[in-house]
Amino acid sequence: MNIIEIKGLRKDYPLGATIVPALRGVDLTVAEGDFMSIIGPSGSGKTTLLNVIGCIDHATSGSVNVGGHEITALNDRQITDIRLNKIGFIFQTFNLIPVLDVMENIEFPLLLMKKPAAEVRKRAEKLVEEVGLKEYVAHRPSELSGGQRQRVAIARALVTNPDIVLADEPTANLDSVTGASILELMRRMNELEHTTFIFSTHDANVLKYARRIVKIKDGLIEQAPVAA
Amino acid sequence: MKLICTIAWRNILRHKGKSLVIGIILFTGAFLMTLGNGVISGMAAGIEKNIINGFMGDVVLMSEAQKSDNILMNMMGSSIEPITTYKDIKKILAAQPYVKRYLPVGKNLAMVLDESASAPGYAYLLGVDFAEYRKMFPDNFTVIEGSYPATGRRGLLIPTFARDEFYDFYNLWFVPGGGSVVKANLKKEALANLKTLVVSTSVVMMGMTSGINTTNDIRFPVTGVVKFGALNQIFGHFCLVDIDSYRECLGYFTAADMAAQVPQEEKKLLDMEGNDLDSMFGGESMIVSSVKKAPKIKVVALNQGKLTEDGVYNAVFIKLNDGVEYGPALEKLNKALAGTGVRAVSWNKASGPIGGMALIIKGALFLFVTLLFCVAVIIIVNTLTMAALERASEIGMMRAIGAHKTFIAGMFLGETAILSAVFGGFGIVAGIAAVKVIPLLQITTANDMLQLLYGGNFFHPLLSITGIVLTAFQLLFVTIVAAVYPMKVAVNITPLDAISRD
Repeated sequence: MNIIEIKGLRKDYPLGATIVPALRGVDLTVAEGDFMSIIGPSGSGKTTLLNVIGCIDHATSGSVNVGGHEITALNDRQITDIRLNKIGFIFQTFNLIPVLDVMENIEFPLLLMKKPAAEVRKRAEKLVEEVGLKEYVAHRPSELSGGQRQRVAIARALVTNPDIVLADEPTANLDSVTGASILELMRRMNELEHTTFIFSTHDANVLKYARRIVKIKDGLIEQAPVAA
Repeated sequence: MKLICTIAWRNILRHKGKSLVIGIILFTGAFLMTLGNGVISGMAAGIEKNIINGFMGDVVLMSEAQKSDNILMNMMGSSIEPITTYKDIKKILAAQPYVKRYLPVGKNLAMVLDESASAPGYAYLLGVDFAEYRKMFPDNFTVIEGSYPATGRRGLLIPTFARDEFYDFYNLWFVPGGGSVVKANLKKEALANLKTLVVSTSVVMMGMTSGINTTNDIRFPVTGVVKFGALNQIFGHFCLVDIDSYRECLGYFTAADMAAQVPQEEKKLLDMEGNDLDSMFGGESMIVSSVKKAPKIKVVALNQGKLTEDGVYNAVFIKLNDGVEYGPALEKLNKALAGTGVRAVSWNKASGPIGGMALIIKGALFLFVTLLFCVAVIIIVNTLTMAALERASEIGMMRAIGAHKTFIAGMFLGETAILSAVFGGFGIVAGIAAVKVIPLLQITTANDMLQLLYGGNFFHPLLSITGIVLTAFQLLFVTIVAAVYPMKVAVNITPLDAISRD
């Protein structure tokens, strides 16, 4: 079953009087539980594609169906609800809330969903343990290393049991050892939680972790997704 | 809510410098507003207390023909309409259980005459029965020179303020008959010119009323100089004179009354006033170094019983029993007095601009604090907007992972609300403390200007629950206004903005 179906997706950015096409008619389907990598050089449209799938950016034209919702037709409130309930994000630069500790950062999306406190704590504790940060629950982001912060971000992305986790170059700011451990963790969580993972990278070493790879160049899918 | 408060509070602690700047502004605004409200309330209460207890009571009766309610400091030349039915009024007042005391008075403007002055000066006259006056206002002033006129005798009490004014205008220093210059009471300029100081023991006045053309020049013997315990600069405009002399001066007697009431020997003196005004001044002014004795004019002996209550008054001052509310009392009074040609007016309306002074100063303070808060709002808006922009990544990330705009708005409002509650709250508490401590310092003043500010001779700020609630509401208003624009900036930050910044 496909969790994502994209047809004829175009995304143009106006740059003064000029229109810069970032995506020029992308067709893509992603199966539920997939662990997929989008690769391509800088400026190829990887991040734009992830942003549109993640309801962070709007499509200029085309159809984008995420988890059964045609997101191009939704208003801000509905889009925000989809981001909260269906999608988890792991950003390149960790993006944790600086005033909250590890546990609170992980709990944050569940608190936005107004889940009962006991359920929130139980789920967060499970994920803290799974990402190996049990001893750091009371630490603030500024007291963690880059790898640890990215682990917190992974736990936070998974805490709501989303349909999809999107990760934009999750290892870009990490050394190779830490980067590898993060990808292994993502892969493990994919297997544990059966969550669909889509991550972008331009690092060839990362590809070995992907189950499927999509190549993108100049705003177009260069070839159909292939098994890694 | 808990999450919003947690994030808001920790953000405040994280940005201590900015929070402190905003906090100090809010503290100062709340403190000044609370203290200012206390000072103004104290002033208003002081003025009320001093006017009611020391000058005109709670309620004033005036003629129905009187156009303006303000009879205290009315415009120069506009006279107070006469009341001719006091005997009937008195019976009605005596029957009102909520009325404590009442005092009929004559009150109008008189021209002060002196041959040496190029233009005449003016004085407010308050014609009273001194015995009744002392019962109505037993301790509102102190006689610092001379004494009250003896019972049944004519006389004038000059307040120190009016005496100083007369000196400025006429270069005459009034002293009570038989008295001498008291250096300690001399105006500074008069003291400097002591050797050439011209003193007088009487003052010639001519009543000024519209519609009456039979006013007389009357020489009033000065029997005493008084200083009001509070608000001497306001009450000190009024020279107190026996009601009979007042009526003569204002021309409130008919010719028949005059003939019936004034003995023959005094008639000669009255005739002289009209025919030979200048002669009246001749013997009255003197160089202090060669003081002559009492003025040539005789003090007229009066038939008290016949004159007092049958004649004309301009107002009746009424004190109500303690705890009686003005509104219902005025209503009852006006109903009871129907047909007597008078109407009852509350003290603050009758005292005109004096009663409204507290309101004016309160308005000025409110304007000042509003300006202060406007500046505060601008600074807070600027600081919070900068904070919102600096935190675009964090806010955008929150939006990306599912925070609605309302959550972001709540977070910013929460930060401002916490700052307002903490610092503004401390400001209010500090203001309340200051209002409570100031009276303990027993700050008193004899300075006329300060007495206006204090509402009396004692600086006693007061704070009502209403005043505190008003300040809290102003603070709440500032909080909301200051948070609106930064909130708008923050909620418009998109997840894409956060990513773009990365």
